[in-house]
Amino acid sequence: MSTTPMKIALFQCRWCLYSPEDQAWVDNDLPENIHLVKVPCTGRIDPLFILNAVQGGADGVMISGCLPEKCHFKEGNLAARRQLAEFSQFLDYIGYAQDRVRFVWLDLQDRGRIQRELAAFESALEQLGPAQTLATRAPAATGGTHD
Amino acid sequence: MTELETKIRAEAERLLTEHVVDVVIAFRQEDAPLHPQPAFFTRAEELESLTYNGLCANNLANYLTRYPQETRIGMVVRGCENRSVNALLVEKQHIRENLVLLGIPCEGILDWRRIVALTGENVLSVEEKDDSVIVHTHENTFELSRVELLHPSCQRCLHPNPISADVLLGEPKPEGDPTLMRLRIEELEKLTPTERNAWFKHEAERCIRCYACREACPMCYCTECFVDHTEPRWTESGVTPAGMQAWHIIRAFHQTGRCTSCGACERACPMDIQMTYLTDKLNLDMADAYQFEVGMDAETQPPFATLTLDDKNRFIAQGKRS
Repeated sequence: MSTTPMKIALFQCRWCLYSPEDQAWVDNDLPENIHLVKVPCTGRIDPLFILNAVQGGADGVMISGCLPEKCHFKEGNLAARRQLAEFSQFLDYIGYAQDRVRFVWLDLQDRGRIQRELAAFESALEQLGPAQTLATRAPAATGGTHD
Repeated sequence: MTELETKIRAEAERLLTEHVVDVVIAFRQEDAPLHPQPAFFTRAEELESLTYNGLCANNLANYLTRYPQETRIGMVVRGCENRSVNALLVEKQHIRENLVLLGIPCEGILDWRRIVALTGENVLSVEEKDDSVIVHTHENTFELSRVELLHPSCQRCLHPNPISADVLLGEPKPEGDPTLMRLRIEELEKLTPTERNAWFKHEAERCIRCYACREACPMCYCTECFVDHTEPRWTESGVTPAGMQAWHIIRAFHQTGRCTSCGACERACPMDIQMTYLTDKLNLDMADAYQFEVGMDAETQPPFATLTLDDKNRFIAQGKRS
């Protein structure tokens, strides 16, 4: 078990958390090791965003979106699923373990699930250890490019 | 002039004199014997310099998107070029009625780097005779085996024959062996993630960001590439590890379901960087998950463009597991 907490990039579709309490928790009370990127729909997530998170030193990437048929924009999450699932396999192929990219598809009754999922993901990442294979960008403070 | 060249020239002459097409895209012999160049013939008199041999390394479909859709184009196509044209037609980059494809069953492209490695740089001329290649240099004459000189992408080629050419010049060749490409990817997949990462970094770190691979690729036709975009800047554009790796990862990923494995990117690379191990992996994934093969017709959309609710089962099964 490492002492520094695992860095997680959380891409969250703004429609997927149905309960206001969950959304408020994600917006205000996220632990410091979780970096929140809010997107209008998972379909907005370009593989580049994920790569930027990975290169910037994220130990894990979590993508939270709506279930199929429940997408606010009808099929944004279907597009995301096809692309991002393949992209995570592709990252695995070049050395960023597939377990480090996790999808959570939330439903109406999944109140409080995002907290549980994040905690489970964090402990899974702790087993894997920090990701170093693709972390190439210097932190912004030491002269790297900004996000 | 070979028999095949005569046929191509006659056909191109017919197309130009009868005004069937505005331009014929083929190859021209220039001073450097190892590098025939793409050429754009608009008048029949110019066809004197038309050439075709195993050293014609460009993918001519690359030039399809540089003409307006109204331009009627005659084009010399081999198997991979034909599939690239199909993939471009799927993406509505030209109109099939405005194209005349002169199909050539391909024997594979000779890798000039291998020739130079075996004979030295002073090559005067190259002759192809059946299964051997005769190279004349200032000092010597070499007789080399054709199979050994083939570009790696051509050794793994699946469909050497043009599949939707209007005119087929030459005898069809036997289809390739699909296991060759799979074997290579599976060998890489057998390595540990750290080893695969080392392999990837070893290839990517030589990149000088000249973007020759992008310019040689028929499917890279965006007017503004993601690496040239400055506001916002999506990736580092310098020769830094982050920038080079991002370029290789995202360039390959943009080819998912679009790459025809012609290998033009590798042939264009001045640093001899391997790239097809990335795109081949993505192509195999597409074949396994969606039974999709690029460019086999001019209608089927690639998997990323054909999402349906039928994905639901796959979606949830994978969602539960992860």
